[in-house]
Amino acid sequence: MNARLGRLAAVALVGCIMVATTYSAAWADDDEDAPIATKMRFVERGTDLTASANVTSLFDGATYNNLENGFPSTVVIRLWVYPRGQTDAVSFALLRRRLVYDLWDEVYVVRLEEPGGAREVRVKYKAEALKLLTTIDGIAIAPLKTIPYEAQYQLAVVAELNPVSKETLAEARRWLSQGTGGGMERGGSFFGSFVSVFVNLKIPEADRVLRLRSQPFFRPKPKK
Amino acid sequence: MTANLRLWVTLVSASLLHAATATAQPAPLEPAAEPAVPAAPVDPVPDTQTPPPVAEPAVPVAPSDPTLDSAADPSLDRGGFGPRIMVEAVEVVGNVSTDVEIIRRALPISPGDTLAAGDPKLRNARFKVLALGYFRDVQLSLRRGSDRGNVILRVEVRERGTISLNRLWFGASSITRGWFGADISERNLFGTGITVGGGVLFADTEAALLGGRNQWATELRIGASNLRGSHWGVLTSIAQAQGAEAYRIAGDGSDSTLSEFQAFPYRRTEVRAAATYDLSSLTRLTLGGAGEFFDATLPVTPTRTLPDGRLAAIDLQLDNGWSRNVTLSVGFDRDTRTDAILPHAGSRIGALATLGSSLVGGDYNFASILGRYEHWWSVSRRATIGLRANGGVIVGRAPRFDQIHVADLNRMTPPRAMGLSVSALPAVSLLPTRLEKPVYGDIGGSVAVEYAWSVFRSGSKRVYGGDLFIGAGLWGLADAEALRTRDSSFWRAMPVDIFLDAGMRIDTDIGAFEFTIANLLGRLPL
Repeated sequence: MNARLGRLAAVALVGCIMVATTYSAAWADDDEDAPIATKMRFVERGTDLTASANVTSLFDGATYNNLENGFPSTVVIRLWVYPRGQTDAVSFALLRRRLVYDLWDEVYVVRLEEPGGAREVRVKYKAEALKLLTTIDGIAIAPLKTIPYEAQYQLAVVAELNPVSKETLAEARRWLSQGTGGGMERGGSFFGSFVSVFVNLKIPEADRVLRLRSQPFFRPKPKK
Repeated sequence: MTANLRLWVTLVSASLLHAATATAQPAPLEPAAEPAVPAAPVDPVPDTQTPPPVAEPAVPVAPSDPTLDSAADPSLDRGGFGPRIMVEAVEVVGNVSTDVEIIRRALPISPGDTLAAGDPKLRNARFKVLALGYFRDVQLSLRRGSDRGNVILRVEVRERGTISLNRLWFGASSITRGWFGADISERNLFGTGITVGGGVLFADTEAALLGGRNQWATELRIGASNLRGSHWGVLTSIAQAQGAEAYRIAGDGSDSTLSEFQAFPYRRTEVRAAATYDLSSLTRLTLGGAGEFFDATLPVTPTRTLPDGRLAAIDLQLDNGWSRNVTLSVGFDRDTRTDAILPHAGSRIGALATLGSSLVGGDYNFASILGRYEHWWSVSRRATIGLRANGGVIVGRAPRFDQIHVADLNRMTPPRAMGLSVSALPAVSLLPTRLEKPVYGDIGGSVAVEYAWSVFRSGSKRVYGGDLFIGAGLWGLADAEALRTRDSSFWRAMPVDIFLDAGMRIDTDIGAFEFTIANLLGRLPL
């Protein structure tokens, strides 16, 4: 009887450890995933609502210096407009900027892909190139007809530096799933549902990720 | 009582929700440069432009946006951006033990290649080198070459320890006072890219087990996954075991009381060799051969006393004395999961066909086909549903160790450790089907559904993420001959049941850990 109680206590202990780990990890995660509240500018232009902001803090010193290493850099910016307090977006926009430094002409070639189309710009200085990569300047984020007067909205921005495609990620991590027996699996190892890999290198889905959230905004009714 | 306890603990699960709320005050739009037009009724944009609905965060995030997947949007990988360059040379720095040629072969670019400076191949080159698994970090850069348009590719690597502890075994059961073992690999032997590994396990068998003795097993492996940068790889292994295989001689099969078991001693030596071929970066074909040599001392007439007092003969599925099993096999594996440890999308499919025959020198004639499939669907930013299915069929007389084991299908049953049976704990009966489930069978399979909740994904370099999960599955394992000669209705005789599991998986810098109810059950001397 005592042995059974001991087993029950062991199971309960593991349950408590699980819940405690989960709770503390989720608590820590809140800080890392939380979007940064940022003041942004919203303007009605024609039939669209436009936004202006920047995601310069996506870069740190090292990634800024890497812009001149001759390798292509990519910045992907996603923007969602959603009613305040809700999670279903009413509009979405995608921006993609790519940069490469021309080692021989010593200019930065920046390709900007936006909802209106794509264009290529050449600039001499790194700071100019950074500005082109990270500035959201009057970008159409939603048709005005989707934003009723007086209703409160917010804009969410997620910017990624050099995002990695899922296929590349899967390929890069494949060696983790090859198991200890390689191609010589048998019995339990063939059916094994879970790998136990120690000394485990994680390849991030992007070099850096920045999450921003605008202040709430609304469209005032035009005065008659 | 045992069954009740295990049922009770499988029902334990936990989930957490948290909410973020916006607190800032609303601000009106700035005056328009052009006059604002009257607003039309709300007209939500199509779903393809909205992120997946999420429950808690105020900021919607859609990391799985299909328009950014290279497979879905070829434009992501379109070359032709930037000036044309020619790779004049590749320069590797930072490697202390890894051979330069191994790094050069991993690169998708070689000297003499001409491409656009913005070609995604350049960006992907970093991941090709990281995928070798030998480096903590890889940085690539270009500098001017000797002529206009020529560049020198510089690859800077930071090596990491390549000794890895692949598995740990430990636990206790009614027939084993304790077992412990480890499997270790060196993935980059002397910088050559060759993997050498091995495992050792010892099991201290209960002295009171009739015919029992302490068990041990060892294994040594050597292999190379990409021979000289080709798609071919080779793997070989040799394993040795001294075991005492427990089998039931009495009781109704619902518990693991020591006196209801007996063991027979055996020695087993196994030599395996296989060639692998990468059909693509995610698909692998394996051709293998194996020779197993058994030296078993079996009882003259193994029998079991049934609960009603009758005696029944037992087939221990092994020849008495020396015997050998020679097999040829072909395997296929395709793994498109985004993460091997905490998958949230993609699938894995695999199959293994084996033929054992006296034509190739064996004493056992059989053929087997084993298959597995799993698929993961991301149903929200944090939630994932997974489907796992596996099964197999063996035709002919396969040796005991090549049969399908109950733990291969039912997570609530203690698994074999390096091929040794260390527990006699029977599978829990939750359905009103046959009470006693077989331990070994020649036809079996399972289908399971799992719901995983992403508790956290961390930017930390130590703890990457954790998922809570709860799952349930249907499994069945049968000896086809016993099923044919049943003495009850088909449903009552069917060795089919369900299993449940819940727990947490954590992905860390030092490895993957799984804290689950089923895992715990397999390690306690129940």
